[in-house]
Amino acid sequence: MLFRRIVLCALLVGALAGLLVSAVQHWQVIPIIAAAEVLESAAVPHSTEHEEHLLATAHEEQHEHDEGAWAPEDGAERHLWTAIANVTTAIGFGLILVAAITTWEHLRGRPLASARTGLLWGAAGFACVFVAPALGLPPEIPGAAAAPLDARQSWWLLAAGSTAAGLALLVFVPQRTRWLGLAVLALPFVVGAPHLDVGAYSGYSADAEHTMEALAGQFAIATAISSATEWLALGSLAGWAVARWVRPALATLGAPAQA
Amino acid sequence: MQQQATLHIARPKSALMAIALPVLTAVLLGAVIVYGVGFSHIAAAHNAAHDTRHANVFACH
Repeated sequence: MLFRRIVLCALLVGALAGLLVSAVQHWQVIPIIAAAEVLESAAVPHSTEHEEHLLATAHEEQHEHDEGAWAPEDGAERHLWTAIANVTTAIGFGLILVAAITTWEHLRGRPLASARTGLLWGAAGFACVFVAPALGLPPEIPGAAAAPLDARQSWWLLAAGSTAAGLALLVFVPQRTRWLGLAVLALPFVVGAPHLDVGAYSGYSADAEHTMEALAGQFAIATAISSATEWLALGSLAGWAVARWVRPALATLGAPAQA
Repeated sequence: MQQQATLHIARPKSALMAIALPVLTAVLLGAVIVYGVGFSHIAAAHNAAHDTRHANVFACH
């Protein structure tokens, strides 16, 4: 009963937030990706031998670009798949957020979930899966060289997990041990994000490198805005949905008949 | 403080256990979904979600 309500809420909340962020991205993020891909495919690498070795190491991970693998056609098909991926991601995040807000309200034993308190949960989600990972691994445009994929994925998980744990300690632990949360927040940055010894665009001509760096700057701002929009929408909708549909299911749990 | 203690008594342990399973299952399901879209190494999954991965600062190729 409770599980079904959490899932239905997450489906609704994720679909709305995912469609919203798709619209926002279509207008400001996607054009930057397209511009970077034009440069990526036109660029003639001219790197030194040392750089080539480092870049080759980075490119070993590029199984994804195997010729022959299915990819959506540029244009409507690609936009459709991006929207589907956005909605799916938002549903996944929505499940975690709805479950977290449900637990919070249940453990505090008061009707706390609302669109307004949901904004705080959304902001926390944004900090965990965008701000913290992006501080170590800035948003990448296509064509940027980067450290091996597995190392970056692991660090992303460390950053997101540590931020969630650190914020939870700071906010929910009443004793002085809460300040351990600061150390947990710092952990991924003490470990350090994986980076190459060469610049991300050192394989490009000076002109192209300059353009790519400018695009990367715009991309960081554009993705921060779209991601913040998505998370505030997710949080606020999740808070509202929990208050509307999960709260009645929670109320029946505490009843003595079910205890 | 007094108020908190009262609330703990008002919530039976069985109620905590009753939400643990649905809540943890939902979190796990959410994590699996996000992993599939954002982290899967399967080429077709990567290509379909390519722009989403870049926009969400998921590590991409």
